[in-house]
Amino acid sequence: MIKTTHGHIRIADPDDAPFLHGFYDMKTPRAALLDTRREPLMPAVAELRELLGRKEAMQGLFYAIEDDTGAVRGFCSLRGMNQEASFGEVTLLLDDAGYEAPLADEALSFLLARAFTNLRLNKLMAHSLTLETRWRDFLKRHGFEDAGTLRECFFGGGQWHDIHLYTLVPAAPAVRN
Amino acid sequence: MPITTDMFLRRAERDDLDIIVGWMEQPDFQHFLYGDPARSQKQIREQIVSMLGRSGGVSMPGGVYLLIDSKKDGPVGLLSLQNISWRNRSCMLDLYIGNTQLRARMATAIAVYRALEYCFDELNLHRVSAFIYAFNTASWRIFEKAGAVRECVLKDHLPRDGKLYDVYGYGLLRREFEAVRERHRRSTEGFSLSAMMESLGAEEAGGAP
Repeated sequence: MIKTTHGHIRIADPDDAPFLHGFYDMKTPRAALLDTRREPLMPAVAELRELLGRKEAMQGLFYAIEDDTGAVRGFCSLRGMNQEASFGEVTLLLDDAGYEAPLADEALSFLLARAFTNLRLNKLMAHSLTLETRWRDFLKRHGFEDAGTLRECFFGGGQWHDIHLYTLVPAAPAVRN
Repeated sequence: MPITTDMFLRRAERDDLDIIVGWMEQPDFQHFLYGDPARSQKQIREQIVSMLGRSGGVSMPGGVYLLIDSKKDGPVGLLSLQNISWRNRSCMLDLYIGNTQLRARMATAIAVYRALEYCFDELNLHRVSAFIYAFNTASWRIFEKAGAVRECVLKDHLPRDGKLYDVYGYGLLRREFEAVRERHRRSTEGFSLSAMMESLGAEEAGGAP
């Protein structure tokens, strides 16, 4: 468990499944919860519990974010790691107001350190649906650059939605042997 | 004046396995598309068998693999529509012209045009995407001529020969393709998908081989 100023970050475990499931139930879709075909996933709590219990998940890069009372506030992850090209994708699942709280900044700092220092990645990517304005503002505030917009690639709520791509490179690229 | 061609699209079959394996082993395939040069022929073969296996059956496939064939030249290239989302009506398009002598000619443009007609007219898709290396100028130019928009630029994104290259993300929406088709209707009608199917149908009715 990593202690931060306003809470803790720890590897997510099967007991986090019900809280994680709540994000899938939300009416507003999130880019982080779409599959590779940009289709929404609707897992059952039991499926999430099983996924979070797998050995690779326990050792993996999917983390629960707790506030200083120990209550889970959201999740963050590094995924889609391309070892050859040294990039990965960052996700941060919080309620809308959560992106403006210091805990979100601390979770991102943790992920950036893990990605750029421990894993020595050379780039992080992030995706956002047009509706996710606070997530997008959060990314821009932390230096993520707009790499473009995939137009009308997700259909939900009777209309087409765009997906925005953001990238972040470390201040000094990692030297890889 | 309409352009005509003897090329046609058909489903890739198991009999095509050796040809496709040969293409996937070409350094150009690995340079312009993907694939690990360390893979053995057996591994490539297994991958292709699983791809071809998915194209049959009655359920909605997640990928469609088509062979670009020519009566004169034989199999020309492979066209794949991957990550098909029937919900979002979208897919990713990859094309490889294995016959290197035909690569710089109209063959690629015609194959892309027909593939797009297949996506929009037959599969009723709304959007076709492609990610293309910035150095693969010929490919992204063809896609742009078909009406696709460069939607994103991923700087230093993927390595080839020890160097990182930019990748362009393209998207083509149905209405954009229809606008381009309308603008070039006269020159494309000779090689459209419907002209191809009419020609194959007429040959079949006439008992041609």
